[in-house]
Amino acid sequence: MTDLPIAAAEEAATRTDTGRRTAPFVPMPPAAARAATLAGAVITVASTFMSWTYTTDFPGDLTVSGYPGGLQVLTLISALLTGVIALGAFQVRGLSWLNPSRSNNSVLLLALATLGTTWYTVIDITAKLGGLANLDPGAFVAFVGALVLFTGALALPIDRHPEEAPDAEHYELGWAERFPVAVRSYVWLREARLHHSELRVSDARKLNPWLQRLAIVVVYALGLKILTYGLATDYSDIFIGYLIVVAVGFWGLGAGGLLQQFQQLTRRNKRFSATVGVIAAVAYPFAQNNEHWANLGVSVLIVGTVALGLNIVVGLTGLLDLGYVAFLGVGAYTAALISGSQFSIWSGVQFPFWAAALTGMAAACVFGVLIGAPTLRLRGDYLAIVTLGFGEIFRIVVRNLDGVSGPKITNGPNGIAQIPDLSVFGYNLGANHSVGSFTLGRFANYYLLMLVITVIVVLVFTRASDSRIGRSWIAIREDETAATAMGINGFRVKLVAFALGASLAGLAGTVFAHVTNSVVPDPYVFSGPVPPNSAFLLAAVVLGGMGTVSGPILGAALLYVIPEKLDFLSKYELFAFGIALILIMRFRPEGIIPNRRRQLEFHEDEAQAPGNRPMGDDTVPAATAGA
Amino acid sequence: MHTLPQQLANGLFLGSMYGLIAIGYTMVYGIVQLINFAHGEIYMTGAFGALAVYTNLPSGMSIWLALPLMLLGGVLVSVLIAVGAERLAYRPLRNAPRLAPLITAIGLSLALQQAVFNWYPDAKSGKPFPQLPGGPFHLGSIDIQSGDIFLLAAAIVCMVALAAFVRTSRTGRAMQATAQDPDTAQLMGVDTNRIIIIAFAIGGLFAAVAGLASGLKYGQIQYNMGFQAGLKAFTAAVLGGIGNIYGAMLGGLVLGIAEACASAYIANIPGMQQLGGGGWANVWAFVLLIVVLLVRPQGLLGERVADRA
Repeated sequence: MTDLPIAAAEEAATRTDTGRRTAPFVPMPPAAARAATLAGAVITVASTFMSWTYTTDFPGDLTVSGYPGGLQVLTLISALLTGVIALGAFQVRGLSWLNPSRSNNSVLLLALATLGTTWYTVIDITAKLGGLANLDPGAFVAFVGALVLFTGALALPIDRHPEEAPDAEHYELGWAERFPVAVRSYVWLREARLHHSELRVSDARKLNPWLQRLAIVVVYALGLKILTYGLATDYSDIFIGYLIVVAVGFWGLGAGGLLQQFQQLTRRNKRFSATVGVIAAVAYPFAQNNEHWANLGVSVLIVGTVALGLNIVVGLTGLLDLGYVAFLGVGAYTAALISGSQFSIWSGVQFPFWAAALTGMAAACVFGVLIGAPTLRLRGDYLAIVTLGFGEIFRIVVRNLDGVSGPKITNGPNGIAQIPDLSVFGYNLGANHSVGSFTLGRFANYYLLMLVITVIVVLVFTRASDSRIGRSWIAIREDETAATAMGINGFRVKLVAFALGASLAGLAGTVFAHVTNSVVPDPYVFSGPVPPNSAFLLAAVVLGGMGTVSGPILGAALLYVIPEKLDFLSKYELFAFGIALILIMRFRPEGIIPNRRRQLEFHEDEAQAPGNRPMGDDTVPAATAGA
Repeated sequence: MHTLPQQLANGLFLGSMYGLIAIGYTMVYGIVQLINFAHGEIYMTGAFGALAVYTNLPSGMSIWLALPLMLLGGVLVSVLIAVGAERLAYRPLRNAPRLAPLITAIGLSLALQQAVFNWYPDAKSGKPFPQLPGGPFHLGSIDIQSGDIFLLAAAIVCMVALAAFVRTSRTGRAMQATAQDPDTAQLMGVDTNRIIIIAFAIGGLFAAVAGLASGLKYGQIQYNMGFQAGLKAFTAAVLGGIGNIYGAMLGGLVLGIAEACASAYIANIPGMQQLGGGGWANVWAFVLLIVVLLVRPQGLLGERVADRA
């Protein structure tokens, strides 16, 4: 693979680019467009204080005039945010810091979020309750207000991709190129793409250092608030509205440059923001003082930690491990066998937690070396299939070791039940503990323990990736032949990555066994209905962003929470994972949180092209012929 | 039942099925160096395509008349999916980093499996598959089912036809050229995109034949049958030397026979009484894969493990 030096690619990517145009989607005088945007925002905000429907049958009480409820709250927040950001974009004195990139794209995207959640609510009321008759005037006002807002935003000057050359040819359409309609709509779509990722943003690092820290604390607090609000929604209708606002809203804030500024701040104050992040995570079981949410939290932490371990193998070293969950299983079974459970063949043996964790890690590490040693000498593709096989074989072997079809070790399909709760330094994690006015239940205790383990894994990940070995991993990932020529022992370095990833999964597995009280073979499959399966973990890493710390954790949290909240979706969860993997690889291979180096690697062609295109929200151009 | 000739025959039938599926892996790998993880799912959709044709035929129809139509239906579904996957999912990623198409393949495999699971009528558990009448036939001490005869015959016909196609036809030679060096082949006027599509299509065709044959052999098809079969077939392709179409068939046969013998005879080895039987057959197949990768990673008929970085 020809590799462009990073510095040159970076320079090419940040070069001021002339290939952008600023044009509205809807022709309207600029003043009228601004007025329409603001008026739309005001109307929408006002509508949320009116009644939207007659009956309380619809989730969240929308019948009350005077204060908003349920989905109206989301509409209110979204419309308020849109209005304020719009004022910032219009350079109103004192508010322009809200829109550092001075682009109207953020207004358009936030207006889209408002439109989405408002119209979703109105249409959902109509569909659920059966007819327009169920709508109160408030709903019509909201409907029209959001429409006015969105139309106004469409009429603002929007930063977009340049027009296609009139003689441009679109080979990627294939046979559809013969139809002028297809070509015209394709060109229209290409020209409609927003283009804001290279806009200059004023440097937030010039702020007073204390203001910077304050900003970080405020953002983390808001983040925790947004998260807990989402988790506490009790109807899937409200959660869908929430998802629309959060997803499109963050996109809009990114277009405005606020996220970029926040990233600058966290980079400058790395240690401080990490501390605040951990404090926010510790605060979670206190903010949501409820066992159900603590259970959700501990599950998310477990899958997130395992995904982060997988990220060392997949994201940093570029080895595709498709049986990663088997290492989690090795850790879990090891911990169960030495937990003192009466169903274990060594029921008398009870290791203290630290010893059990180390044993689980060691066992997983041994399996990692056994699997890795023969395959890592070969091309990467073999590893993928061998790990896939290993994942399957692990489950079969564990099922067979029941004393009937094989030696009795694991109790076969029944698994090892009644694993006792952990006790760390005399603190029994199974019992309730009172801390101040809060009660920490079983899952909250495990949440805090798991948080410690997550922090350890994050430290291992960042320390390793910044060290000599981490740089070798990245070198191997980008070009193994060149890396070997530079004196890196490819096999040894890959084996270390693979074994380290396996041990971290084993570590998470030891806690997993205790949290679930029992281990059974069925969750350790390649793809299955319950989250810790290899396909889920891979999807989490790929969706979140390969090679980053926060990416896999965010990805795992999203993939875990969304199907949990939208129960009608859970049937199609795996199907959606599959489609998502294909689409992400096609359109945004760097994931939600891109790793800078990785992004350059994936978008190499564009960085080299003369009229270079942006790195952010763009698609990989269809490759031309040739293998 | 547990005589050696019977086990060899069982292995032969199983192995011809693995070989048929392995052809798809090995041809695609030989030309674009991509492990098409979704190939097992293409085999599965072939079986479901054949079943869909059968259920829509008039009920009194003879199975011998229905068989060609089922084959046609299965082949149509499999080839369309294989070619569509190449065109829409793999081709845009041909110049992307290595990991990208592999992840796409995994995603495709999941999506196909779940699509059948969710939307094929009553596919949540096994679907009964029509059976060929007659049999079991006795050949000396060996029992042979009629489904097995179809499988063996189909495998032989397919292999001979493929060998002739690759060796003698113009397209076949273009395929060999593309496998050796795609850039040079393109300079010599070979339309490599067309060759790649043909490789995917042939893989899909053979997978559909295998899917139909497996339905006839086992009397049941499942939405997740492609996962293990794909894993085994890939093992067979590696065993025979990936990229080599004769190797794929040979690897399939070796793997099938090894598996049949392992489940029958491992238990006779002192100290391993509990490790025999059908439950452990997959484990031994996997151990065989690891051993082959350790001892002869280029496979039985492979010449070299080319690393075209």
